[in-house]
Amino acid sequence: MRIPLSWLRELVDVQLTPEQLADALTLRGLEVRGVERWGSAWNKMVVGELLEVGPHPRADRLQLTKVRIGKDQVLEVVCGARNIAAGQRVPVALIGALMPDGRTIERAEKMGVASEGMLCSGAELDATDDGDGILILDAKAPLGTPLSDYLGEDVIDVDVKPNRGDLLSILGLAREVAAITGAPVNYHARSITESGEKVSDGLSLSVDDAGLAPRVVLRVVDGVKVGAAPDAVQMRLKAAGLRSISNVVDATNYIMLELGKPTHAFDRRAVGAKIHVRLAKRDETLETLDHVSRTLDGSDLVIADERGALALAGVMGGASSEVGDQTSSVIIESAVFAPTSIRRSAQRHSLRSEASHRFERGQELDLAPVAAEQVAALISAWAGGSVCAGSLDSDPKAIGTLRALPFRPARVRSLIGVEIPSQKQASLLASIGIQCSDVTAASPVQVTRTRTVNAEKGSLLLANVPAWRRDIEFEADIAEEVARLYGYDQIPPTLPGRDLPGYRPQPTTLRDLLRAQLAALGVSEAVTHALVSEALSDRHAEPVGLVSGELAESEGAASSALLALANPLSVDHDRLRRSLLPSLLDRAEANARYGAQSGALFEVGRGYGGGSGGPQEWTRLAVIAWGEMGAAAPGERPRVWDLNEMKRVITLLTGVADASPRYLPLVDGDSTLLHPGRSARIGGAGIAGLVGELHPGAPEWREAPRFILAEFALRGLSAGLPKVRQVTLPPTTPPVQRDVALAAPAGVAVGDLVALAREAVPLAVRVELFDLFSGAGLAEGERSVGLRFTFQPPQATALDEAISDQLAAFTTSAGKRFATRVRGAEAE
Amino acid sequence: MELAALEKQLRTLQTESTTKIGAASSLADLEELGSSLLGKKGALTDLLRGIGSLSAEDRPKIGALANEVRTAIEAALESRRTVAGAAELSARIANETEDATTPGPLPAFGSLHPIPETISAIGQIMGSFGFTVAEGQEVEDDVTNFQLLNIPEDHPSRDLWDTLYLREPGRLLRTHTSPGQIRTMRAVEPPIRVILPGRCFRYEAVDASHGFEFHQVEGLLVDRGTTLADLKGILDELARGLFGPAARTRFRPGYYPFTEPSVAVDVSWGGSKDGWMTILGAGMVHPIVLENGGIDPETHQGFAFGLGVERIAMLRHGIPDLRALLENDLRMLRGLR
Repeated sequence: MRIPLSWLRELVDVQLTPEQLADALTLRGLEVRGVERWGSAWNKMVVGELLEVGPHPRADRLQLTKVRIGKDQVLEVVCGARNIAAGQRVPVALIGALMPDGRTIERAEKMGVASEGMLCSGAELDATDDGDGILILDAKAPLGTPLSDYLGEDVIDVDVKPNRGDLLSILGLAREVAAITGAPVNYHARSITESGEKVSDGLSLSVDDAGLAPRVVLRVVDGVKVGAAPDAVQMRLKAAGLRSISNVVDATNYIMLELGKPTHAFDRRAVGAKIHVRLAKRDETLETLDHVSRTLDGSDLVIADERGALALAGVMGGASSEVGDQTSSVIIESAVFAPTSIRRSAQRHSLRSEASHRFERGQELDLAPVAAEQVAALISAWAGGSVCAGSLDSDPKAIGTLRALPFRPARVRSLIGVEIPSQKQASLLASIGIQCSDVTAASPVQVTRTRTVNAEKGSLLLANVPAWRRDIEFEADIAEEVARLYGYDQIPPTLPGRDLPGYRPQPTTLRDLLRAQLAALGVSEAVTHALVSEALSDRHAEPVGLVSGELAESEGAASSALLALANPLSVDHDRLRRSLLPSLLDRAEANARYGAQSGALFEVGRGYGGGSGGPQEWTRLAVIAWGEMGAAAPGERPRVWDLNEMKRVITLLTGVADASPRYLPLVDGDSTLLHPGRSARIGGAGIAGLVGELHPGAPEWREAPRFILAEFALRGLSAGLPKVRQVTLPPTTPPVQRDVALAAPAGVAVGDLVALAREAVPLAVRVELFDLFSGAGLAEGERSVGLRFTFQPPQATALDEAISDQLAAFTTSAGKRFATRVRGAEAE
Repeated sequence: MELAALEKQLRTLQTESTTKIGAASSLADLEELGSSLLGKKGALTDLLRGIGSLSAEDRPKIGALANEVRTAIEAALESRRTVAGAAELSARIANETEDATTPGPLPAFGSLHPIPETISAIGQIMGSFGFTVAEGQEVEDDVTNFQLLNIPEDHPSRDLWDTLYLREPGRLLRTHTSPGQIRTMRAVEPPIRVILPGRCFRYEAVDASHGFEFHQVEGLLVDRGTTLADLKGILDELARGLFGPAARTRFRPGYYPFTEPSVAVDVSWGGSKDGWMTILGAGMVHPIVLENGGIDPETHQGFAFGLGVERIAMLRHGIPDLRALLENDLRMLRGLR
């Protein structure tokens, strides 16, 4: 809400500078977005006095003027306007002045006569709509004064919160200023003189549903001459951010700004005799003032006559009854509508207007007749005409009343935490028009909509809340007013020293340990978008294993359907990611494009999906790395990110949660993102994920560095923390190691052999791959797999037989299942 | 053998040995000499084999002389070892010497992102006041995100949150972390002290200070007799924790449907960047919200606050443009290590 200060000063005395006022309002909770000087762009423009106006020697449509802009300073200016005469004071743009339309005033020859400046019209100054004549200033306008000082206006822009519709007016702001300064609010209502025909002679009014339109008032002004509003009015509206339309429409806007009460003026000729406020008929149409033909809905409230809808109530008038040059009689409609109905209509038709903005926030019933009268007064003052006798009023008894709200000053003190005596609370509230009185009997205190508490009369005060403070409903609202008026800065800070909650483990512990480990390993943390595009999830296809397969199932993400937005901002971000890899890979590729030949990124974040039980979210850790790990010294070979380096990282990370990763072959369809020959599932107790190299298939990947990717679920790992590890003392007997070398046919995965070994040889405390080769002594495609089993028997030779049995069982079942043969077995 | 002949041989052995030892240059040679002279099969042992043929009265004489010779050889060996050892050590050092002043090769640098790091910093500060972390869901419903927070349907306050909706009716992406207040109150008995960090979403065009995805941290304390003054105290501490001991806060009335009274908090931390920056919104939990959380507003009071993580991260790290936070450019990230 833009408030021209001259207007505010008409209602309340303000001694503060605009900046002081802005600070004071901000500290009271009326946040001032900015303070500006409307007209400050008028540089090199001054008030001048026309000394002579005479004919131009060579052009009929031009005049020659002599204009004085200072004691001894007289300019010769050529002017094309006809409304000037000697003795008038006018705005003069001097040589070098920059006009609002971007023109610069230069010394110019006009038909042989030099012009030393320009006399300005209101339109040229962007001050009024009048482009035909020069803007004639007051005869007492001080000569030579810069125009920005004389016509300019201080404007403060207040961010009015949705609960304070009463502040969408000069009057509302004046009340708040009065509470700050202690000065009284003086609103002088304009008086009207009624004459002629009674309104009720030619018009009738009916309202179908008083719930939707609690009060509707109609007045008529006859014999108007539609034209421009006075210059001062146009400039004031402009400073407040509204466009000037005509004297009649400006009158309604002026009162809307002054009192916060929107009204509408209809051309009397285009309106029938029976005004009817009703819901629209289904598929009824209305062309609104913006010349859009709108199909109405059975829940749109309209102002209609016997022929059809004339206006969308509270939102916008209709084109057919628009006030225009030919209008000679106007009907003023000033009503209060149900806020929800107006909000829904405005949303349905995507038509948010200054009027609907105010109606949505609620209106005072009393203002309906007041605004109708004030608009009538302004129309008759600015457009002539006479105000017809009386008015039509749907419910003259519908008046806003003071609401009596009992509250407990002790509860206010307890909420604020400061001992503000009851009398002090009462006087603070009185400063904004909430008078407090004593309560004579025990009364119910409104705590919430449904909750009241009976309190003894001695513990209560009665707040008499004026009708315009619709936001004050509960005791806590009174507490806020008291705190706000007392001053938040006066409240001394204290620390809450009561009960502390019991111990709860921090859910972030594991994540923070993993993040610190990764950073120490040279991997940088990223935060990427959760909302991704179809293209991104297509190109970097989300690994199926991570979003809907068995792996996902392990973290509750099974059958996760994609969650798409109903109202996306753009196609680039129209769905929620299920896997972190597409958006992380996108960032890795961006870094590679910026020239990063190596790098490593990780993200801890959520995936999202829809299941039968509603939307689900899961937390994942994803890592992507490429190129060299750190720099090599001269002559040294650099370490390069590959599958094994990534596996080292995974072992370190899962080890934080006391888990050990196992690698198993991908199941068909697990991923189209990963290189089919260089990828694996990550398994093991509590671990589910995928690791691999980026698929080299798509054209844009062929040139790309070798990206190594991994993603795994944190759910299973988190369950392991906080974990206190148990100490194992070094054994007194030496460990026993047995090596087994198997020749495995092509296509047998080492991960499967290792898994089988772990299962078949439960006595082994460790199974490691110590050797892997192909070639000499082996068939084509065959590989020799050397597995080292470590045992820790309680005494030397205690388990020899059992160990041998288990190893034999392993080699036998490996032979059966994978067609391996034993190349050698060796005890150490 | 004659006594005299044996004595002579022993003397000769001593003389020759000392000469050989003096000529030895390495510890390994000395080791070998030692065993060839004094070892079980060494020269001295060899000579003394003849002792059996001597008379009983000559034997001690030879024994004494043999000891004298042994001692002399051992002394010669020892002194030569010291010299040879020192020479060998300096030769090794000379041999192993390289230029240790070359610049250290750079390791792979990793860093932690400002957004989670800021959340983590807030968690640590609030942790010292007994607040633990709880995490809500990001896909929410209209009821919890709005209605239970005293933001009814069709209320103009809805305009404060431009919302991204899922295709499934009633489902939306949470516009703030505040629905976590309801979920926490319904799950935990007072006294409650939690912070709820997480990602939020709004239908908002992206510019240098806005994004459609951002992070908030919600704080909630519910207890008996909690006051607005307590809120001021806690937020003062949080501001100092985040921006240093000189940071000051300014509390002014704000508007949120779920708090009453509501507060907007500005912070100033002196120095060149002086001035008030709004960093968070807060207030006393609205009685309607307490009630919706299953807590009796007559017995319990609480405060809640919500702050924008990106804004604080930008202020703390001097990041001029919010978009840089999601760019994840390694050149920027590595600078944060």
